[in-house]
Amino acid sequence: MKQLLDKIPQRQATAGLLICVLILPWLPLGDSTNYILRVLTMAMLYMVLALGLNIVPGFNGLLDLGFVGFYGIGAYTAGLLTVHFGISFWIIVPLAALNGALWGILLGAPTLRLTGDYFAIVTFGFSELVVMTMRNELWLTRGPMGLPGIAPPSIFGHEITLDWEYFYLVIFLLIVVVFIVSRLQDSKIGRAWFGIRENEIAAQCCGINLIQYKVTAFAISASIGAAGGAFFANWFKFIHPDMFKFWESVLILCLIVLGGLGSIVGTMLGALVMIPLFEILRTVLPQELFNARYLIYGATLVIMMRLRPDGLLPFIQDREKKAKQAAERLSDYLAGTRKPEQAIPVSSTKE
Amino acid sequence: MKKLLILLVSIFFLTGSAWAKTIKIGVAGPFTGPLASFGEQLKIGATMKAAEVNAAGGINGNKVEPVFMDELCDPKEAATVGTKLANDKNISIVIGHLCSSSTLAALPIYRSAKLPAISPTSTNVSIGKMSPYYFRNVYRDDFQGLFLAQYIKKVKNFKKVAIFYEVNDYSMGLMSAFMKEALKLKINILGTEAYTNETTDFKPQLTKFKMMRPDAIFVPGYHPQALLIASQAASLGIKAKMFGADGLDNPTMLDNPDTDGLFVTTPFLVESAGPAAKSFIAKHRKDRGEDPGWMTANTYDAFGMAVQAIKAVGENRVKIRDYLAGINSKENGYDGVTGLTYFDGNGDCLKSAYVKEIKDGKWISAQQMQ
Amino acid sequence: MENLLEMSSLFLQQLVNGITLGGVYALIAVGYTMVYGVIQLINFAHGEIYMFGAFLAFAMVTVFNVPFFMAAILSIIICACFGIVLDIIAYRPLRKAPRLAALITAIGMSLFLQNLALMIWGGEIQSYPREALPAFFYQEAIAFGDVTITWIQVFILLVTVIFMATLHFIIHRTAVGTAMRAISQDKTTAALMGINVNRVISFTFALGSGLGAVAGILVGLYYNAIFHMMGFIMGVKAFAAAVLGGIGSVPGAMLGGGLLGVAEALGAGYLSSAYRDGISYGVMILIILFKPSGLIGRSTTERV
Repeated sequence: MKQLLDKIPQRQATAGLLICVLILPWLPLGDSTNYILRVLTMAMLYMVLALGLNIVPGFNGLLDLGFVGFYGIGAYTAGLLTVHFGISFWIIVPLAALNGALWGILLGAPTLRLTGDYFAIVTFGFSELVVMTMRNELWLTRGPMGLPGIAPPSIFGHEITLDWEYFYLVIFLLIVVVFIVSRLQDSKIGRAWFGIRENEIAAQCCGINLIQYKVTAFAISASIGAAGGAFFANWFKFIHPDMFKFWESVLILCLIVLGGLGSIVGTMLGALVMIPLFEILRTVLPQELFNARYLIYGATLVIMMRLRPDGLLPFIQDREKKAKQAAERLSDYLAGTRKPEQAIPVSSTKE
Repeated sequence: MKKLLILLVSIFFLTGSAWAKTIKIGVAGPFTGPLASFGEQLKIGATMKAAEVNAAGGINGNKVEPVFMDELCDPKEAATVGTKLANDKNISIVIGHLCSSSTLAALPIYRSAKLPAISPTSTNVSIGKMSPYYFRNVYRDDFQGLFLAQYIKKVKNFKKVAIFYEVNDYSMGLMSAFMKEALKLKINILGTEAYTNETTDFKPQLTKFKMMRPDAIFVPGYHPQALLIASQAASLGIKAKMFGADGLDNPTMLDNPDTDGLFVTTPFLVESAGPAAKSFIAKHRKDRGEDPGWMTANTYDAFGMAVQAIKAVGENRVKIRDYLAGINSKENGYDGVTGLTYFDGNGDCLKSAYVKEIKDGKWISAQQMQ
Repeated sequence: MENLLEMSSLFLQQLVNGITLGGVYALIAVGYTMVYGVIQLINFAHGEIYMFGAFLAFAMVTVFNVPFFMAAILSIIICACFGIVLDIIAYRPLRKAPRLAALITAIGMSLFLQNLALMIWGGEIQSYPREALPAFFYQEAIAFGDVTITWIQVFILLVTVIFMATLHFIIHRTAVGTAMRAISQDKTTAALMGINVNRVISFTFALGSGLGAVAGILVGLYYNAIFHMMGFIMGVKAFAAAVLGGIGSVPGAMLGGGLLGVAEALGAGYLSSAYRDGISYGVMILIILFKPSGLIGRSTTERV
């Protein structure tokens, strides 16, 4: 399997996959086309969300349990701006992302100096407070009445209503996010993040400003979550506080863990497998069992951490291992057990 | 690859079996989860009507079959389930959803798929105006709230009322309608307190009510919490009466002696039902050993209207919608077990409300308002 | 004058409600605090053990007709063993792994157990039938003016105090307690001194889980509402109580539990009942941000 995956040139594989996806709406799938498209749109939305969340636990090694809070902030920002001011979708998505980033900084700046456990629980508390606000501030969000009547996005005057149009829209969003995240990963910031994840003290010794980089990561992660929320609001056309429950955060975390923490391809594959899988389970399992599907998420998290903490994909593990070795060399050097010429600084692990 | 194949095949089979000979009617509601006992009533109503229609020869010779879709009263689930129903070409009408928030989530999907739907239970005010494809054979929250306010003034003569509401669309819609009318009738609202569907400790709020000394506490919520509220109120020594709306009308309310004296509004009352309902009630009693609940009766009628529409115009979604929209006056109204049903321009309808109360561990008809 | 009397009795009643709730928080909070003390991990699944404690006692009473007190004791023992198993299968293999891995496992365990309960007992709220419980629970113990204290409230407070005192004794007067304190200060040195670290950690889990089960059973009785979600929210709030008092400190957990219970009852009574759960979250966030060592916890330097 590993050899096989190595043989396929990555560029061609990506291009092939992209073409398959792009022609999908035009394949003769009969009555189920729309349903399949909708499920895949959902899967890709979760890819966007998972890529966003991945930045914090995957790149920085911090557990963020409040991601759904930013997702919800994005959805309500978009929903309210569309309903009250009729602002175009193309302006709303960046605005929602900005709002998400703002809250990310507000929450991140004071909390990111905490140890991992406290950070996790504070983010959880934050997302619960966000949902509570959505539920209770009727003047703003209509609370549990939900926010109906969100207008669909339009492009050059054409209103997007059909399933395949949303399908392409989410592909566009996904490509933008993948581009941003992969550029970030390979940039100076990205390397600093990996350094922080592997060894905070070593990273600090290399002159990395921990708080600054962590807050940046948190803000970017939050803004991607909010952008996903904005798409969700305009796609569902109705949002409700119940849609942003804590379990969504865990589901997204589960997708990342399955694909491999910190891996972009793995994260996307995790969503591509899991989201349709649950749609299949819905039809195969009796409803009582299907209701308890989060049991599988929970079990997945536990088993993966125990047996394959680097995710299911073999070739990603490889890359991960290299990064880890580099970081280990660095910390050994700092601890004085390795000579300077053997240590490779964090910033050159890629080249 | 194999997985993908299984996925495609299973989706194909589940959504597209074009060779079916039965006529399918979608029924969506919470058949499992915390509100499963409501969903059960939906299920009973639809199954009873379908069995009856089939025994009488079906729809123009074809058998009718309800397709139950579970959405747990979760708006996100409702949207997924709604998509499935909308894409199934064999489904030409949906009965549901049960909770208003689910109905609102599925509504845009049905509207763009031009799929008509009748909700037997969603009472939220905003539903009717939002889609020409949505109908309901149940009154709206504003009517129910107004009715309750008048009832406690005229029949019970309560002067001071405290309101204990759940943070959800149904409960808050009812509360605001009740308060509006109460203000007009000069009923003194002593205070309002909130709880959520995950609350189990109601004592701080109830303690507050206790000191206000109300004549009655209005609980416009659902039965699982109302049951706990009743027993915790009793343990605090609160003597005020409790009353609620149709969300409390459930047999589980009888599990606990503390609910004695509680009264609720309901759209359907066995004692006040017309002659058309006699055989329905008798059959329900025979099959299940108890009287039918209001959701059962409403679903039974909604299903009946769907069958009548298909009988008249066939399985065309738009034609069914037009047919239903045409049921707009007393003369051509649908005469079901819950009385005469006809829709206004928004697809809403006017139904009468009744009051029933718990006495000695049984639901009985209370004194009605003239 | 009448008004003043009424206001003070309202306050007193809320105080009684709050203290009862606080006792329960404290019982759960010590479970978090002890585990955090020895292995520096938020055991998210602790709330689920509390839920299982309630459910097991309930199932024994309703399905097998076991007398209530018997069922309670059995349930506590089972949950204590359950805590040990949880540690062995989920957390022990990850002792040396990054903290992120252990945290993800904890949240996964919590989700798994919660949905297991959903599968077994369904999603509806379960209540004890009245006949199954001793009758005195429902009677008024003390009533003066408008303030009512039921026997069950007295019972809860009594049980809490007894168990807390026992716990204090175990931690400060027994060998295993000394070992626990030693491990919480320095695991490696403790091991070098001949302490069987894993065995002591297992004991800690058993103790914490047993107390969690006690809390679950008491809450199941008090509100008469048992459902699969009861553990998670209560767990987070109890964790907030542990943080408030100072994590790692048992008296701190008791103080934090009591304060949070009263704050919640008074907050719901005087401020806004809609934001009631938010009170605990808010308190927790503020304490973590401004005084991470809690009210009476020892101040530790942040280790990275």
